[in-house]
Amino acid sequence: MQAGTLSKYLKSGAIWGFIVFELIFFSVAGEFLSVSDKAFMDADNMLLLFKQSAPIGIIAMGMTIVMVNGNIDLSVGATYALAAIVMLDSMTWSIFEGMGDAVIFVAWGLALLTGVVLGAINGIIVWKTGVDAFIVTLGAMLGYRGLVFMYNGEQPTSHLNWTLVDFAEAQFLGLHTPTWFLLIVTAAIWFLMNRTVHGRNAYAIGNNREAAVNAGIRVGPHMMINFMIIGFLAALSAVVFYSESGSVNPNDGELYELWVITAVVLGGTKLTGGAGSIISTFGGVVAIQLLRKGLAHVGADTSTVNLVIGLILIAVLFLDRQLNVKGKEELKV
Amino acid sequence: MNYRKALAATTAAAALTIGSAAVADTMTIGITQNNVGVDSYQTTYEKAFIEAAEANENVEAVVLDAGGDVARQIAQMEDLIQQEVDAIIIWPTNGEAVIPAVRKAHNAGIPVIVTNSNIAEQGFDFVASFSGPDNITQGKRSAEIMCDKFKDMGIADEAKVVHITGQPGYTTAIERAKGFDDRLPEVCPNVEQIDKQPGDWNREKSQKVMEAFLVKYDDIDGVYAGDDNMGVGALNAAKAAGREGIIFVGATNFAVGYEAMERGEYWGSIYQSPVDDAKAALKTAVETLEGKDLPFLNYFDTPKITQDNMGEYDKPVF
Repeated sequence: MQAGTLSKYLKSGAIWGFIVFELIFFSVAGEFLSVSDKAFMDADNMLLLFKQSAPIGIIAMGMTIVMVNGNIDLSVGATYALAAIVMLDSMTWSIFEGMGDAVIFVAWGLALLTGVVLGAINGIIVWKTGVDAFIVTLGAMLGYRGLVFMYNGEQPTSHLNWTLVDFAEAQFLGLHTPTWFLLIVTAAIWFLMNRTVHGRNAYAIGNNREAAVNAGIRVGPHMMINFMIIGFLAALSAVVFYSESGSVNPNDGELYELWVITAVVLGGTKLTGGAGSIISTFGGVVAIQLLRKGLAHVGADTSTVNLVIGLILIAVLFLDRQLNVKGKEELKV
Repeated sequence: MNYRKALAATTAAAALTIGSAAVADTMTIGITQNNVGVDSYQTTYEKAFIEAAEANENVEAVVLDAGGDVARQIAQMEDLIQQEVDAIIIWPTNGEAVIPAVRKAHNAGIPVIVTNSNIAEQGFDFVASFSGPDNITQGKRSAEIMCDKFKDMGIADEAKVVHITGQPGYTTAIERAKGFDDRLPEVCPNVEQIDKQPGDWNREKSQKVMEAFLVKYDDIDGVYAGDDNMGVGALNAAKAAGREGIIFVGATNFAVGYEAMERGEYWGSIYQSPVDDAKAALKTAVETLEGKDLPFLNYFDTPKITQDNMGEYDKPVF
């Protein structure tokens, strides 16, 4: 048996094992602690789980590419809020008057464009200045949030369109609209990462940037494209979520970057880049939502939920480090 | 013989009625709160709600907290609908964003009671009842407290006021600010409001906002904060900067505000008890389920409190 095979399986399987553990734990604990007569693993509850995973999940797919790349994007929460504002506000602009419900598509387009542009700004700064993405996107996080507040002060931006709400609440083949978006995005990004040159380059750059440059990969433009993808996905997440809720607080999306990064790291993507899997990120997203849902089901409060997620994250990183160290040692022998 | 038979029959019938009534009266009430732990009002509210629910043997409560996150609150609404609770109480994180979720509950036949801070008018059709304080009146009363004090001091023609609001997008914050902004020029037309910034219901944030105000403006006579938590934050900033003679008026009298009033540093506030608030919400939900006819807007009274009349009120427990 090749050295490190076991630890590799352990790492990629850990998140699914954790999900199974959560399901069993909450089902059993729910029997005793929940006031609800319904089982935790009720089909409707599981469908809701995927739906509720969508806002974080869609962004997490983009974050996986960026982190595999060896970068990070802290501005997704602010991008998410700004895209939501553009979408909801543009539906009331007078130039689109008389379009009826067709204005929805224009609004979606503008919101997605906003995300792509904001991502491109991050990307071009990282590319042209060589400043670490952490710093660039930290600045962007504050800057974009500033734009959000400039747009409408401290007021929420609202536009309730029932056609839009009905679309977002719809269920097709049993799955909610947001679930479909999450699944399609996951499939698309999986394809990008595993079946295209762009995806292979992302891993190569994250593993060893020098070597990637020497191999003739145009690292700068590559990173910029990835930032545009994550910007697009942050906006898409906003489109999916705010189509249903119709009003955005200026502080919405705060801390989303941290939840997204938590999900990605839980899924086993390395903070240093070069390794990560889209499917495992999907697992990480589901695991977090399951934990939130499950703890609420058994009657724990929100602070407990945050505490537990924090502890698990540290445990995962520790485990990951231990397994990696083991793998290296065995290789040396 | 006949008599005994009749008695037995009545007893059986009575027992049956009591039995079925007891079953029917056990109601599961779910509540999704805005952000427990962000301030002592919401923390005390939750405690009071749980106590009130436990005191009522017919009520089983599912107590949830959205942590200030709209997405999580909508998810909690969906979960409560899926669990088929009998009624849902919601303390909205955003008065508009939760409307579709409230409609979902309404369509599922679950009555929704909005507590503390109302949702926007478009959602009124889907709400059984609102239980909470009248925030516009509170803002107005704060403006009156401030104006009366300026008149006493003889500076009603020149005073300058800064305004620290609650969490952006939050209906309570918007309504109190509106009440204050509307009423102040009516009662004191020459008092000028020179700045307005959000303090997010947070003492530290409010202190920072006030520090910035103090640097920016040499002349500040009054500070209105959307609640006492923020008001005391602003007071601390003024004390640290050595600026005296500023009149502080808040809303939702907190223990820290009450103590500052005792020390004579803080002028006045609005007396609002989270215990009353929580009890009113549960009572409204129970009465809705019992089929009682309730007014749509179920306000509980929140009087003015200043250094002059504070003896009439107990110190807030939060």
